[in-house]
Amino acid sequence: MSASAIFVLDLKGKVLICRNYKGDVDMAEIDHFIPLLMQQEEEGMICPVITRGTVHFMWIKHSNLYLVATTNKNSNASLVYSFLYKLVEVFTEYFKELEEESIQDNFVVVYELLDELMDFGFPQTTDSKILQEYITQEGTKLEVTKTKVPTTVTNAVSWRSEGIKYKKNEVFIDVIESINVLVNANGSVMSSDIVGSIKLKTMLSGMPELRLGLNDRVLFSLTGRDKGKTVMMEDVKFHQCVRLSRFDSDRTISFIPPDGESELMSYRINTHVKPLIWIESVIEKFSHSRVEIMVKAKGQFKKQSVANNVEIRVPVPSDADSPKFKTSTGSAKYVPEKDLVLWTIKSFPGGKEFLMRAHFGLPSVEKDELEVFFLMSIDFFVRYMKIIEKSGYQALPWVRYITQSGDYQLRTNA
Amino acid sequence: MPYLGGEETVRELKRALSNPNVQAEPLRYRNTVLRVVRAMSQGVNVSGLFSEMVKACATVDVVQKKLVYMFLCSYASLNPELSLLVINTLRKDCQDPNPMVRSLALRNMSNLRLPSLVEYVEQPLTAGLRDRAACVRRVAVLGWAKLYNLQPGSDIDAAVVNELYSLLRDPDPVVMVNCLRALDEILKEEGGVVINKPITHHLLNRMKECDVWGQCEVLRVLQRYRPQSDDELFDILSLLDASLVSPHPPVMAATLSLFLSLCADLPAVSLAALERVSGPLLAACGSGSREMRFTALCHIQLLMRSVPGLMGPHFKRFFCGYAEPAYIKQRKMQIMVELVNDENVSMLLDELKGYCTDVNTDTAQAAIQAIGHIGRSYSDRCLEILTGLLGLKQDHITSAVVQTLRDLVWVCPQCSDTVCSALEGCEETLQDSQGRQALLWLLGVYGDGVSSAPYTLEAFIDGVKSEVSLGVKMELLTATMRLFLTRPAETQDMLGRLLHYCIEEETDMCVRDLGLLYYHLLKCGIEETRNVLQGRRSDPSLGVLIGRPAQPISQWACSFNTLEPLKKGGTVTQTASRGSPEHEASKPKTAVELPETLDCSHIHTDPPDSASTGQRSDSAAELPAASLTLSLSPTLSPEEFERRWLQRCSLQSEEAAEESSDFLQTEERICCSAVLQRSPQTLQAAMQLVNIQTLAFTPPSTLPWRVFFYTHTAGTPASTLILGELLYAGEADPAPKDEEEEERKADGEAAAEDLTGRKDRQVEVKVTLKQQPKDEEAVRAFLSVLSTVLHTLSSERHDEHAATHL
Repeated sequence: MSASAIFVLDLKGKVLICRNYKGDVDMAEIDHFIPLLMQQEEEGMICPVITRGTVHFMWIKHSNLYLVATTNKNSNASLVYSFLYKLVEVFTEYFKELEEESIQDNFVVVYELLDELMDFGFPQTTDSKILQEYITQEGTKLEVTKTKVPTTVTNAVSWRSEGIKYKKNEVFIDVIESINVLVNANGSVMSSDIVGSIKLKTMLSGMPELRLGLNDRVLFSLTGRDKGKTVMMEDVKFHQCVRLSRFDSDRTISFIPPDGESELMSYRINTHVKPLIWIESVIEKFSHSRVEIMVKAKGQFKKQSVANNVEIRVPVPSDADSPKFKTSTGSAKYVPEKDLVLWTIKSFPGGKEFLMRAHFGLPSVEKDELEVFFLMSIDFFVRYMKIIEKSGYQALPWVRYITQSGDYQLRTNA
Repeated sequence: MPYLGGEETVRELKRALSNPNVQAEPLRYRNTVLRVVRAMSQGVNVSGLFSEMVKACATVDVVQKKLVYMFLCSYASLNPELSLLVINTLRKDCQDPNPMVRSLALRNMSNLRLPSLVEYVEQPLTAGLRDRAACVRRVAVLGWAKLYNLQPGSDIDAAVVNELYSLLRDPDPVVMVNCLRALDEILKEEGGVVINKPITHHLLNRMKECDVWGQCEVLRVLQRYRPQSDDELFDILSLLDASLVSPHPPVMAATLSLFLSLCADLPAVSLAALERVSGPLLAACGSGSREMRFTALCHIQLLMRSVPGLMGPHFKRFFCGYAEPAYIKQRKMQIMVELVNDENVSMLLDELKGYCTDVNTDTAQAAIQAIGHIGRSYSDRCLEILTGLLGLKQDHITSAVVQTLRDLVWVCPQCSDTVCSALEGCEETLQDSQGRQALLWLLGVYGDGVSSAPYTLEAFIDGVKSEVSLGVKMELLTATMRLFLTRPAETQDMLGRLLHYCIEEETDMCVRDLGLLYYHLLKCGIEETRNVLQGRRSDPSLGVLIGRPAQPISQWACSFNTLEPLKKGGTVTQTASRGSPEHEASKPKTAVELPETLDCSHIHTDPPDSASTGQRSDSAAELPAASLTLSLSPTLSPEEFERRWLQRCSLQSEEAAEESSDFLQTEERICCSAVLQRSPQTLQAAMQLVNIQTLAFTPPSTLPWRVFFYTHTAGTPASTLILGELLYAGEADPAPKDEEEEERKADGEAAAEDLTGRKDRQVEVKVTLKQQPKDEEAVRAFLSVLSTVLHTLSSERHDEHAATHL
């Protein structure tokens, strides 16, 4: 691993906060980072690793910040990136939004966190649940004697501390799925999959033991009830609280949940998804300086369902100007900084068809990919959730299903 | 970073810090400290406040302590003397009842990075190792690593090392992992922490308790362990199996890395492991973070060096999304090029075609080059796409297409007709010098096929005065010279004008020298000029369908899961036009390099394998080639070869007779030892010397071993085309098929014998020849040429053997 130092920079390359962990790379090296990045950007050859002499900068960008790790060793790249993303995750949990302003407003906490997250270039305590127990934003209040040692630092169950109490015991389960579809110009689905995650919000007292049943095909074939609507999951990833040995032997997902919000598992389902919204587009050229793009969107899902907040993004050439729009529903606007037309439809009922026309002056090359973003719902469900706690209290599980579109692209012939 | 009013701020802060009223009020005091630290992170030089801050650390407020310590650690190196004052407070804090304070003090004490303070730090660190709070032990363990890092040459305290080894059994997993890290740092000189059997088993058992970082660390350290028996090895492997398919990419990668190092001697197990990780790796390619996706792609490229077909069935996963950054798209395209096969080629080409119009010009150009690369095996389809792209009349696309066509023609000369017809009109859209140079090269070399070539060149020559690119001017000169040789009537006048300009008016030495050189060359006579300028037009050997030979895993295993594969040079870049000396010459050059570039761009007598040329050209000279002239043109594309070869096969089986009127098929055996162990490149080079073009090889030392080749015989009564196959079936030949069945059976005995004594015994290679039209004379002559080549190669092999025996 061994990151030598971690920097948080603003977009101009000014160091907002930095922490030197090893002291084997000159801290002034960071001044070369932004010029090198700019140079790469000009050449169109941006790369997540930038090397200058013996120093490597590994960077990620989050909203208006660059998070940069420097190293002079041939260190483990995937681990460094994971750590940088972990930083983002922890900071986001602390400040809701991680951006320049929140770093500056909370720089004391950021310093404290950087101190705990890593020591001598090695990640230490990175679980934000644990960190939140002894590094708090209320730290700005004055506590003269803070003798309470967080139990979790040494606890066997590192993600949950003992003695949590709620008046009303509840669990909220959100099944959130996003669909990735790539459809090519002649209408055939090139690739499609569903990426889903189960999010928990637990408000339970004590040390409860939870069991979750899903309609996974693996689960059914093991118990010999291979009937009904089952789906095959791939790349299942669990929160560390899930007992993997139990899952491997009898496919039960049993765990002691972390308190509050957490992501229990994520998975991918590789199925053939029919594009829920079908897009056709026609591009007409009048002379050399004017173009009309007509986009037709059709909802290919049940009439009773409604897709909310559908966004259709039509890429247009960067030199397009004087846009004019006509839509049968929703509103369209031109976003010049991203070179696209954004057509938003607040509610899109199944089986309906809508039209959008856009006029532009002087475009040169036609780009032909559309992106669609929407929210809808599908076929994966939680069968049961059992909650077992020593004290035997009553608890209510709540389940909710949300479908989002992930990377949803339809290509059209220009 | 300079900060306006910095000095003013520092003075004001200094006053506030030393104000007794402020110090009396904890909240005000802390806010002042906070302002100091804020100023520090804004880049103000606040080192002048060091002594005031030292005083501020004697407080009960933990947050203030943290801030002050951080300040002190940042400026300690500037104030070594004053830092001594802090040590006292820090040591006192190490006795604090609160473990958080103890660990804080210990951490900062070791972070001061002052060699002069080491003696004061050692005692608290030793105590820290035995602290009852795990968080203090964690810090203390790494503290030792920091101390030794500070004084690299210092003596290693055996007691500390022992203590650290015993702490590997600490109940806290982070302490355990930190011990590994610390020992690795302290014992760096001796090769890091020593991993014996008990430690290995202990670590493996404890691994489940660790977090992701800890697991990766353990897996990394375990790479040093060598299991004592196969049983133990397989026990370890089965323990690790679960983490091999871990959903956390770093853990998965670390496990694979460990697998590869443990199974270095068991290629089959390593291969199975590679197969097994392909799923999780593909999942990582779809992960939410772009950097992780990029890392995964780079590592997939690494794996594909050993198992080229690993990702074959998943080629669709490498299709690019519209919004992906260019660096991911380009890696994906590189992978797609590697995955091309007969079934998916049309789909991949359709996909790549879509990227050619990408908004990012670099991505578009990379896509065009990728198509060109595929064109080496599927030239017709790719040419269709490439020529279609010219119709878009976009300068960056046209430029990339022309460069790609140039590269393609160099490798696949059979494309030249299509390329020539596509070139018309390109000059209008070409803007950049690279593209224009490519166009000029093509016009010069294939000018006889482009009717408008002289007019295009004339336009260039008319504008030569305003031309800024040195490369274009040089290329223009050479192209005009070459065109003059093929179409003298149309070009003579403009060549004169160009030479006049270059010699009389041009200010650049390179261009002038080249102009003078050509001028003098022309004076020597047209034949001389022809000899110099009309070298090889193409080098089909580069396009041979060998595919990239699979590399042994050990070649990249050590760089797996590090930074190396991410760097540009870490993998083979498909974009670089490999090999062609012509193209190197078209880059801008300095006067010093000139003779060199001239040399390689115009005289192509050296075959690729120039090291062995000397010997072999001797043997080539001895060949009885006088009776027979072989030639490589017209060139035959691999597809064409395959069509003809198969067509002959079917004819053969239908008619059941071995001959039809215009067609001859013969089989012959040639005894030649150890040709099989020759690398395809050597064989190919040898064959080319006598104008036999090899088209496809099986990798060396696989059975059955095959080589396909063709040549044309010129002369009486008519020129013929010979298609041929060299076959060595060997013993391990699985179910032989179609027409060669009988021969193979007959081959059986000989082959069995051959395998046992393959090293120095004579090996019989079966030669199947198909000729059209029939000319037995020519075939016999050809066979003798072929056997001479093979014998020469064999005897060289013998010499080598003899040499090694001596």
